[in-house]
Amino acid sequence: MTREDKLALAGDYVLGLLDERARAEFLVLSESDAELKAMAAQLAGRMAALDATAAPAAYSADLWSRIEQKIDGPAEPNRTIRTMTARPPVRRLPAWLPLAASVVIALGAGYFGGLMSRGDSKPVVIAILLNEADASPAMIIEAFADDSVRLVPLENFAAPDGQVLQVWTLPDADTGPVSLGTLTQTQDLRLDGPNLPLPHDGQLYEITLEPAPGSPTGRPTGPILVKGFAKPPV
Amino acid sequence: MPPESHETATLIERIATGDRFALAELFDRDAGRLVAVARRIVRRQDLAEEVVQDAFVALWQRAGQFDASRGNANGWLTTIVRNRALNLLRDGSRMDYHDGDTLAAIGDRASDATAAFDTLAERDALKSCLGQLDELKRRAILLCYVTGLNHGEVAATLNAPLGTVKAWIRRGTIALQECLS
Repeated sequence: MTREDKLALAGDYVLGLLDERARAEFLVLSESDAELKAMAAQLAGRMAALDATAAPAAYSADLWSRIEQKIDGPAEPNRTIRTMTARPPVRRLPAWLPLAASVVIALGAGYFGGLMSRGDSKPVVIAILLNEADASPAMIIEAFADDSVRLVPLENFAAPDGQVLQVWTLPDADTGPVSLGTLTQTQDLRLDGPNLPLPHDGQLYEITLEPAPGSPTGRPTGPILVKGFAKPPV
Repeated sequence: MPPESHETATLIERIATGDRFALAELFDRDAGRLVAVARRIVRRQDLAEEVVQDAFVALWQRAGQFDASRGNANGWLTTIVRNRALNLLRDGSRMDYHDGDTLAAIGDRASDATAAFDTLAERDALKSCLGQLDELKRRAILLCYVTGLNHGEVAATLNAPLGTVKAWIRRGTIALQECLS
């Protein structure tokens, strides 16, 4: 990419012109390109002056109490069964989503093995999973040719009691979403996934919140916490 | 104008420790401005309030992720609101923007974008650098940033071909960044 290309890309990112997938790709790219990252940060900082020009608007008297209710409210998991599509629509973050780090680390049974013990083979694809709340990078997934995936959390979040974080991928629309494993708290680990075709450019990875010990239907039923599309490393 | 960023950073640090009073203080101080920022993009009061509501809940849960050494606290807070508003705008199931938009609504967006530019402080380099752009490039950039329009919507608003608008925005953002640096 030329310097001009980078400036234009940083501009599209800051102006909000990138769609969800392009935004994820931008965040991947900017993690390894300090110049691009600095361009975007600089422009965003400058453009924020335009937001500061907004004259305060009136708002409903109960807005604060609605926020307090969401913060204090009990978990209300959405049990509606969804079918994961290749490009699921943007989902808004459920307000009850617990992102607090937990001290206890526990693993879902059965899925894990060979934690970090393998040689440094190169991943076939890498996906940065973005937080649904603000598109901030939350997790890196490296998928290997032997069906295993490595999770590298960029932020901590934990499932509430009685629920688990379930990792999914969508090899193709016909196969539908496939579970790669469950965990109760984000951590750096390696999962032995089921036997699947070689992961491809653009393959979807996501984590949903499911009732323990895992989705009762074998498909994602809970809200998407983080998701991203894979790219092969150059 | 928003308060000093270091005051915001102090509040966010308190929120990260679970201090509900700090969250309430930030809400009392900034909710009106943030509702206005969101409304420029989602155009509806109820959706703008929903955006701010969700943003404050997210802030409560994620304040610990703010790193004062890396970014401006006001910018961080505003970015959470902007991203949620843009997601809502692009989420077709919630917004019937294309079908329901009227000439008046387009005009409202255009005047919001212009007003934001006009209200920038004269000494702000952003104002002089935006001012140096051709008018159509400037308007295109402001429509995107301030009101969340995409290329196609800007083309419709400015009554210009899509390819031309893309070129304006590309050349405009490059020139803007050259000028600001």
